[in-house]
Amino acid sequence: MKKTHIVLILIVAVLIGAIMVMFKDAGTYAGFNLADSNKGQEFTVIGYLDKEAKMDFDARKTIFTFTATDKTGVSRKVIYNQPKPQDFERSEEITMKGFATDTAFIASEILMKCPSKYNEQNEMAGNNNSYIDDKGQ
Amino acid sequence: MDYIGEHIWAGELGRFAVSLALTSAMLAVFSFWQAEKNPAWKKLGKVAFATHALSVFTVVGTLFFMMANHYFEYDYVWKHTSLDLPPRYLFSAFWEGQEGSFLLWMFWHAVLGLVLLFTAKKWTGPVLGTIAAVQAFLSSMVLGVYIFGYKIGFSPFILIREMPENIGLPWTEISDYLTRFPSFMDGTGLNPLLQNYWMTIHPPTLFLGFASTIVPFAFAIGALLRKDYKGWIKPALPWAFFSVSILGTGILMGGAWAYEALSFGGFWAWDPVENSSLVPWLTMVACAHLILVQKNRGGVLPSALFLSIISFLLVLYSTFLTRSGVLGDSSVHAFVDLGLSGQLLIYLLFFVLVSFGLLAFHYRKLPKPKKEETMDSREFWLFIGSMVFLLSSLQITISTSMPVFNKLFGPEGLIHLYENNKTISNPIDHYNSFQVPFAIVLTVLVSIGQYLTYRKTNMPTFYKKLAASAGISVILTIAFAWYSGMTNPIYILLLFTSTFAIVANIDYWIRVGRGKITLAGSSIAHIGFGLVILGALISNANKNIISQNKTFIHKEFPENENLLIELNDTLQMGEYWVTYVGERAGTGSESHYNYFDLEFYRENKDSMLVQEFVLSPSIQKNERMGNVPEPSTEHFLTKDIYTHVTYADVRTPEEKADEWQDEFEFTLSEGESKMVYENITVRLDSIISDTKKNPDGSFAFIAIGARISILGLADSVVQATPIYVVQNNQASSIDAELLDFGFKIQLAGIDGQVNKPLLKVWRQKPDEKPFILIQAIVFPMINLLWVGCILMAIGTLIAVWQRIKPTKK
Repeated sequence: MKKTHIVLILIVAVLIGAIMVMFKDAGTYAGFNLADSNKGQEFTVIGYLDKEAKMDFDARKTIFTFTATDKTGVSRKVIYNQPKPQDFERSEEITMKGFATDTAFIASEILMKCPSKYNEQNEMAGNNNSYIDDKGQ
Repeated sequence: MDYIGEHIWAGELGRFAVSLALTSAMLAVFSFWQAEKNPAWKKLGKVAFATHALSVFTVVGTLFFMMANHYFEYDYVWKHTSLDLPPRYLFSAFWEGQEGSFLLWMFWHAVLGLVLLFTAKKWTGPVLGTIAAVQAFLSSMVLGVYIFGYKIGFSPFILIREMPENIGLPWTEISDYLTRFPSFMDGTGLNPLLQNYWMTIHPPTLFLGFASTIVPFAFAIGALLRKDYKGWIKPALPWAFFSVSILGTGILMGGAWAYEALSFGGFWAWDPVENSSLVPWLTMVACAHLILVQKNRGGVLPSALFLSIISFLLVLYSTFLTRSGVLGDSSVHAFVDLGLSGQLLIYLLFFVLVSFGLLAFHYRKLPKPKKEETMDSREFWLFIGSMVFLLSSLQITISTSMPVFNKLFGPEGLIHLYENNKTISNPIDHYNSFQVPFAIVLTVLVSIGQYLTYRKTNMPTFYKKLAASAGISVILTIAFAWYSGMTNPIYILLLFTSTFAIVANIDYWIRVGRGKITLAGSSIAHIGFGLVILGALISNANKNIISQNKTFIHKEFPENENLLIELNDTLQMGEYWVTYVGERAGTGSESHYNYFDLEFYRENKDSMLVQEFVLSPSIQKNERMGNVPEPSTEHFLTKDIYTHVTYADVRTPEEKADEWQDEFEFTLSEGESKMVYENITVRLDSIISDTKKNPDGSFAFIAIGARISILGLADSVVQATPIYVVQNNQASSIDAELLDFGFKIQLAGIDGQVNKPLLKVWRQKPDEKPFILIQAIVFPMINLLWVGCILMAIGTLIAVWQRIKPTKK
């Protein structure tokens, strides 16, 4: 067998390994229900902030508590022991990485999606529109 | 209808130039194709390509002119600039959007094409033909026309009133809409995060790097089409190293921007968008070295062709990943989807099929080496190194493509393999677990590479020459690991190999190369590579978060990395004592910043605290993106101290004062007192009233006032009269606010059941000392990384110059 062939086989082997490790290292996008039935296991939940529910940030302990609703409509209390992200109230969508416990979902990482400028433009178009309607034009 | 104030000519010129760019590129492809059989066509091809380049410059120039002159009737101008945008950020604004960054990419392709027009000599035809084909596709990305109901491209020359979402809205029917509605008089402006000098130079450099990968690709495709499998190697070589240098510099600038202006605490986070820029660089390094081997020794033609092709295809794939919206949830800074993902995917598949198809078709005809390389030859280990670079890039590509796997095999995938979409939980650990071992292998190869000779190395001399460097590196590694307390064996191994790479290449240049300029390029670049790895290793492995909060909450909770610091308080952080001296608003063009001044003190040898420096991390109050923290970093030769504010109350004093709480409702009879809060008692002295009757006898107006005495501590008494008014059957209250007491009282009405006035009180939040939460990180030796990047870029450019400089006869 030629050396190039050995190298090729090695490359393929490493790549197969890479794919397997990738799936091993991958968490699952889930809802709160799935996280609840596997307490302690890490999941990534995408949801929205429940703006009606109580939101509290205890700066001295650096514990941020809020309620989120996942895409299937299930709500959970979420505890995040990091500073409250800037403009959290404005978030459209929150990605929470963490695990469920009996009392709350403990998030270790939170990413937020904020309103994009494209929405802003749609809003503007709408505003202009209503302005004209008000004037009866 | 004629609209007032529109500059229609600009959009028409722009769109005409885009169409001309597209057609001239197609004409160039056709002419160069014909020229392979009939050389008479070559001239037309060249003219067509020059026309194409000129059209691209016109497109770019027109859009730039429109932006500089604030033609806000155009959607792109309105979205990305504003009247108050400082002119120096006009470039940033130009490539903020997808359309502009496509134009930037095309611009560089056109420039590189013009250079090749004069330098590629006999390769002009196939090389420029290939570039023109790519340019034709790219031109169509900014075309913005509908063909059979499919949208082809997205034009930056569309008026706002022509945008699909606005068509048919009433305001588009008003001829003077531009002067009538305030929202059109100024644009929405450039995202303040991008108003940073790095954003002026990072994108053009990175895109020149991306664009330059087309040159080896075009040479490789040309070689296959012409069946001249070897002739392309020599002219492609300097271009491959040029690409390595520029792309590397572009990536470095992106890292520097992230480190200086963003607050994720580092220069690299394995974000999909960062990965997409790194991957083509890795394959380009492999490609350049294989072309070098092929030129000097031969025998690696298939790999050299493969890597030239895949480097460019990976640039296309990156473009697809970052612009199609596929990354969606997994990256913070991917572009917004413009609905072009289908078009991008078709182009990507087209180039993949055509180029790999060509390679497969010609594979059997490629000249085969007569004899295999031996394991003691430089070419063998250069080949191995290139393959490790390829592996490294493929691993990153695969893991970055997780969202693509989800689309293909996920719950809504073509082939349904798993139930829930997946995402890599801890990307930094995941990527490091592969890339650190790759880096160890590569740094070893970089150390020994130059000492190996082509064909066959004299092994005893090889060991003898390397012994000194190896010895010095072992000593340095042990000393540093001991001094810095590094214990992870894998990191110590990488510490050794990267030190070895630096020392061995310095030694090679001085002792073997005798400081000759001909060997300077490769030596400097390799020293730079070693420094980059060493700097990245030390600054990450030994980074020290000095803002650890020791408060214990629960064993499941990690220790917090944020420290709460009150105004005028001093806390110890690492070897420093830090005082938070106050918050201030920025001035002038920085008025949307709030700065938080932190004074850093250190104990001197007389146990006195001496102020060393002041850091002012800030929060940008950004209407569009929300409030964004920006770090502040103190640079020293051997370390950086990096701070950013992770929480601050950025409300204005008025907003803070307006917060009433502890609402309390009760009734009182005349003369009765009640303690409402621990320090406040209220007494109802009397009720006063005033009425006015309508002619028909009904009440037009009733006002009731409650005369109240407020008894604070120390027997102070203050009078207040909250009033309750009913007018035209509308009830309202006029509250009495006593800001000195931090207290507010309202007469909310009369309780009908007991016939007593109903009172409500609030108090203000007790005055809390202002505080912020900060994170502070010490990055040791991060300067090695930056110096390494610069050396790598310079060294590579020297090597390029060595290959293209006019040789003296």
